[in-house]
Amino acid sequence: MPTHPGNPPATTRSASMDPLVITAHTLTSAAGTGITANAEALRSGTSGLRPCDLESVTLDTHIGRVPGVEAITLEGALAPFQCRNNQLAELGLRQDGFTDAVAAAARRHGPDRVAVLLGTSTSGIAATEAAYHRRDPQTGALPPDYDYQHTQNMFSLADFVATRFGLSGPAMVVSTACSSSAKVFADARRYIAAGLCDAAVVGGVDSLCGMTLYGFNALQLVAARPCTPLDRDRAGISIGEAAGFFLLERPSVEATGPLLTGHGESSDAHHMSAPHPEGLGAATALQEALARAGRRGDEIDYVLMHATATPANDSAEARALGRSLGPNPRAVGTKGLTGHTLGAAGAVGVAQAIASLDGGFVPPTAGLNVLDPELDLDARAEAEPRAVQRVLVNAFGFGGNNCSLLLEAAP
Amino acid sequence: MNAIGLHAVGLLGPGLDDFDGARPILAGDVPPTSREVQVPPPALLPANERRRTTATIRLALKVAEEATRDADRGQLRSVFASSSGDMDIIDRICEALTWPEPVVSPVQFHNSVHNAPAGNWSIATRNPAPATALSGYNASLAAGLLEAATLQLAEGGEVLLACYDVPSMESFIHVRPIHHPFAVALRLGPVERAPWRLQLDLGGTTTADRCISDELEALRGSNPAARALPLLEQLVRGAPGNVTLAAPLGRSLNIRIEP
Repeated sequence: MPTHPGNPPATTRSASMDPLVITAHTLTSAAGTGITANAEALRSGTSGLRPCDLESVTLDTHIGRVPGVEAITLEGALAPFQCRNNQLAELGLRQDGFTDAVAAAARRHGPDRVAVLLGTSTSGIAATEAAYHRRDPQTGALPPDYDYQHTQNMFSLADFVATRFGLSGPAMVVSTACSSSAKVFADARRYIAAGLCDAAVVGGVDSLCGMTLYGFNALQLVAARPCTPLDRDRAGISIGEAAGFFLLERPSVEATGPLLTGHGESSDAHHMSAPHPEGLGAATALQEALARAGRRGDEIDYVLMHATATPANDSAEARALGRSLGPNPRAVGTKGLTGHTLGAAGAVGVAQAIASLDGGFVPPTAGLNVLDPELDLDARAEAEPRAVQRVLVNAFGFGGNNCSLLLEAAP
Repeated sequence: MNAIGLHAVGLLGPGLDDFDGARPILAGDVPPTSREVQVPPPALLPANERRRTTATIRLALKVAEEATRDADRGQLRSVFASSSGDMDIIDRICEALTWPEPVVSPVQFHNSVHNAPAGNWSIATRNPAPATALSGYNASLAAGLLEAATLQLAEGGEVLLACYDVPSMESFIHVRPIHHPFAVALRLGPVERAPWRLQLDLGGTTTADRCISDELEALRGSNPAARALPLLEQLVRGAPGNVTLAAPLGRSLNIRIEP
């Protein structure tokens, strides 16, 4: 068995890190288009899941499908990027005044000083899946209009967003499965600290495709009914899609908003697709996020859990919370609203955490009927109206790849 | 950016079996042979896991092992950079999805994630340190170097960068003409006691440097990971110098190298 430290890695600096400000953000998911609709669904626990009606997928499951993605047409210089993932990205970028905020940041800092650091797990693979259906029956060649670089390649998402905004700062796509769009927040902090840029567009997009639906189904991790995180009878995940974007800058008189005060990353070093049963890697990430922010576990209002609703994942994560925060911590699972949005899950969690900091409520765990008594968590089916100052957001992925982020209310 | 140390190198490509063995070729003293690349199975993985590895995982782990021979593998952070990830699996899954009743292999699916080599590396080395996986298309090497360097500067300690791409499968070869596997690993760390000191600067739109050797120059364009060859040529030269790599979005990564 791998050995695993129960404490933050020794390399963690004891002094708290310089926080970053989230000066603008946007979220589009099955629970809503834009942050207002998502915040209302979050507070009321209104699910966006529906029976799978995706073309070419015949599985008995529910999905978190975003309405209106197919209607988006990318034009001009953006035309080569046309695929479901970038269509969803474009739909997301049009909401919440995010485009204006990025344009203003580019004017303020210079377009070469704004980084584009985004996460996705499958990028535009739906375009490749469609192209395989149209291969030449004789030669097997892919159709001539198929554009690999601008659709399926992992970098396509950052390329698309940078091209759309005319940005030329440091750019890359992180693809560490379901932790992808959480890890880019930590990257932005390091890139700004190293002087590579003054601001960063971070977040992530993942979109529905045959590969993930059939792949998770093959692993027997997909539920037929809408997923019910933390519930005694939880039976697996519902797959969803989402686009979440954030503009991160150093705090200043002009740059105000909720703060990223901590981040923690770790590896389980245990198994490719199953979490460490005791949640050791996850606990390391949580503790590192707290340590960077100089916070104790009892200063956290609640944890917005990864809570995918598989029996093993929720159980391992609950143990990690117990290790890091003490017994019976306040916890929330939100994938009953949106489905598991995979590489976008971190971005969805951060946007939901901000909605709860801004709106003054601890969200309900949507779909929760009977809390699993084995989990030792304080999770509730109803929203709790009260001031919220600090939220830990978890995102964990295949390969035992863990990331926790600490978000704090605007000072 | 502040300077970082380069402590060790791993290499695998056509006619290039490892970094030390390739030194005469990189120095221009001997031409590379066009021998087919043999990727050994990852010795660090338990037999059960080893059987489940793909060509992409084996390629990444080979250079990672080489660059960490004298390092504490259980501690260092890691960055896995690849343009395309596991294209063999993408091919097989997309093929399966065209069947009337699609069946996706569970092992193939969990190996399809871009961070499959990173996950296997952390399991093989029992290393709980953070690992990441990224892409910058043809500039994945420069993107990986920036990521690894910012990690080293922010967190201290050693950081492994592995950059690799497998050849495209038949249906993709015209879309993405990558004919040979290529992988390189760089172990970065503090400047102290490092054989090379690197100073990175993300610059404007300068053209990337070519290889000195014509044979290596032909390889450089053949695989995104082979964009490392001008840097490797400079490393074996044993004198200070500058190398410019292509960075994402048309930028350049200027590297000052001092032995």
